[in-house]
Amino acid sequence: MADPVVLEEVSYAFGEGELRRAVLRDVALRVMPGEIVLLTGPSGSGKTTLLTLIGALRAMQAGRARVLETELAGAGEGQRRALRRRIGFIFQNHNLLGFLNARQNVAMALELQAGLTERERLSRADAMLASVGLEDHRHKPPSQLSGGQRQRVAIARALVGDPGLILADEPTAALDKASGQEVAALLRRMARQRQVPILMVTHDPRILDMADRIVTMEDGRVVPALPAG
Amino acid sequence: MSLLQSLYLPLRLSWRQLRAERARLLAAMAGVMFACVLVFMQIGFRAALFDSATALLSAMRAELFLMNPLTTASFRPEPLPRIRAQQALALAEVRQSVPVYMAQVTWRNPESGTRRAIQLVAFDIESDAMGFNGLAALADRLKQPDAVAFDRRSRPEFGDVGRLLAGQPGTPLPVQIGGRQMNVMGLVDIGPSFGADGNLVLSETNFRRLLPNRSVANVDLVALRLQPGADPVATQARLKALLPEDVVVLTQPELVAWERRYWEEATPIGFIFTFGSLMGLIVGMVIVYQILFSDIAGHLREYATLKAIGYSNGYLARVVLSAALLLAVLGFVPGAVVSAVLYDVVGSATFLPLGMSWSRAGLVFGLIFGMCAAAGLLAMRKLRDAQPADMF
Ligand SMILES: Nc1ncnc2c1ncn2[C@@H]1O[C@H](COP(=O)(O)OP(=O)(O)OP(=O)(O)O)[C@@H](O)[C@H]1O
Ligand SMILES: [Mg+2]
Repeated sequence: MADPVVLEEVSYAFGEGELRRAVLRDVALRVMPGEIVLLTGPSGSGKTTLLTLIGALRAMQAGRARVLETELAGAGEGQRRALRRRIGFIFQNHNLLGFLNARQNVAMALELQAGLTERERLSRADAMLASVGLEDHRHKPPSQLSGGQRQRVAIARALVGDPGLILADEPTAALDKASGQEVAALLRRMARQRQVPILMVTHDPRILDMADRIVTMEDGRVVPALPAG
Repeated sequence: MSLLQSLYLPLRLSWRQLRAERARLLAAMAGVMFACVLVFMQIGFRAALFDSATALLSAMRAELFLMNPLTTASFRPEPLPRIRAQQALALAEVRQSVPVYMAQVTWRNPESGTRRAIQLVAFDIESDAMGFNGLAALADRLKQPDAVAFDRRSRPEFGDVGRLLAGQPGTPLPVQIGGRQMNVMGLVDIGPSFGADGNLVLSETNFRRLLPNRSVANVDLVALRLQPGADPVATQARLKALLPEDVVVLTQPELVAWERRYWEEATPIGFIFTFGSLMGLIVGMVIVYQILFSDIAGHLREYATLKAIGYSNGYLARVVLSAALLLAVLGFVPGAVVSAVLYDVVGSATFLPLGMSWSRAGLVFGLIFGMCAAAGLLAMRKLRDAQPADMF
């Protein structure tokens, strides 16, 4: 099986002309099947920018990137959108739709898949909510859930479509210590069960122990690797 | 995704979003309803005006008409020589030639004594050239001196003639018309128009008694009744050749259209109602646009999230358009009900023939639908601000 994420010499800059600022310089990064990789580094070092490139949320500028077998350099919006459907995103804020309840939010991630009936979508959403421990909260809107519960719904939404890769940007930053660790442990357990690789940006030292590997960035470059733990 | 799903799922999503914010939904519905009622009333008034303006002419039972070409509207006729009525009889196809006299005189309300202009319609009652309801039963009594028939649908300012007559069965009601004492023998059905608030029907002889200064050589309109089987258009052509340029020969539809054109083109009335409808649609569109726009602006993060997890711009555009069309339906239904009630209330207060019809409801729904769709298309541009790259 090919590695889910392979980056070589990826560079990225914001702005034009005088205002042009390089944010990523010759970044190389590889995530192997089933691997959990944490990305850390000082604020402004380009972690989020890198994640948006891998997640096909931004168009590439320079370098080569292959994510889930899709070549990203020169990919059009349609190709990038198709790739995004195969990636599970977990954001710092849960970003659930406020007017939908928990199971409807999770089922939204399945409405893009052809050939599923409404019943199948809802039963898969229910099963996923049960496996994140929220079977009793299926019918609540996000406003009636705690921060940790919302983030667990977001994990269920990211995983329900059987993604080939999970991308997360500081998913525990908005949570207190206990629920942050709980959410991190849950994410790790679910990813392990399904053999889904995770690339997660975090500043949170309490969850570094979940990683197989930690990648540190500084000023747009990847700092040579440290062993995990 | 099947075609059905790709339409149904965005529709369901936008319905769930609309439903979640009741106050905003009600405001949007009220906006659409407002536009809907406004358009219904404007279109209703417009149609009622044109219908009532031509009711008198439509009720005439004749195939061809002679009229002075300078006549712009029947409430203000230019006279034509009476001799033309006889000349028309030279054609074998013309069975009967009925001179019609029209004028407005003052009528004194028999209850309150106030005065108001009323339309006179005079002709040879025996000719049977007018199809007004109730006229046939009164034909004999209208031959008596100073006898008139009163249009029961005249505006109430003329007095409740129907009740007064009913209070004295068999006895005519004395009234003052144009300074002369006349007798109302009974009631007919014509209906007021924007040019005439009420109507009186009387014989040619009584018309002359009432307005002795009018030249006997002039008439206001000539109704020509043809032999059974005669072709009105061919006869019209022969009459045009026969008669001098000082009269026009019109078929009944042409006469009605002539009258209608006056109200549509020579008065601002038609324009006013079109303009009113347009204003209603614009105001409604702005309201719906505002609601949809602030809906998108308030949910930008959610739309961006949907884009991030793989939803297309087209899908989100369908969500916004669905919301617009849901608002069209949700506002139109109560709007149409309110308008139907208003038609009843306003119709009975103004004596205008206002009424709801399926074709009109369909027309207004089409306009409201277009209005909401336009608002949706405008609001959709705001979706560009939902940038999935800014989500992390
Ligand atoms: N949309 C943008 N336009 C211009 N500059 C940007 C944009 N997004 C990020 N930057 C700049 O790019 C640099 C890297 O930003 P990025 O968000 O990738 O850092 P980060 O490592 O995620 O930081 P943090 O830990 O604070 O989240 C920063 O200097 C930032 O100011
Ligand atoms: Mg960041």
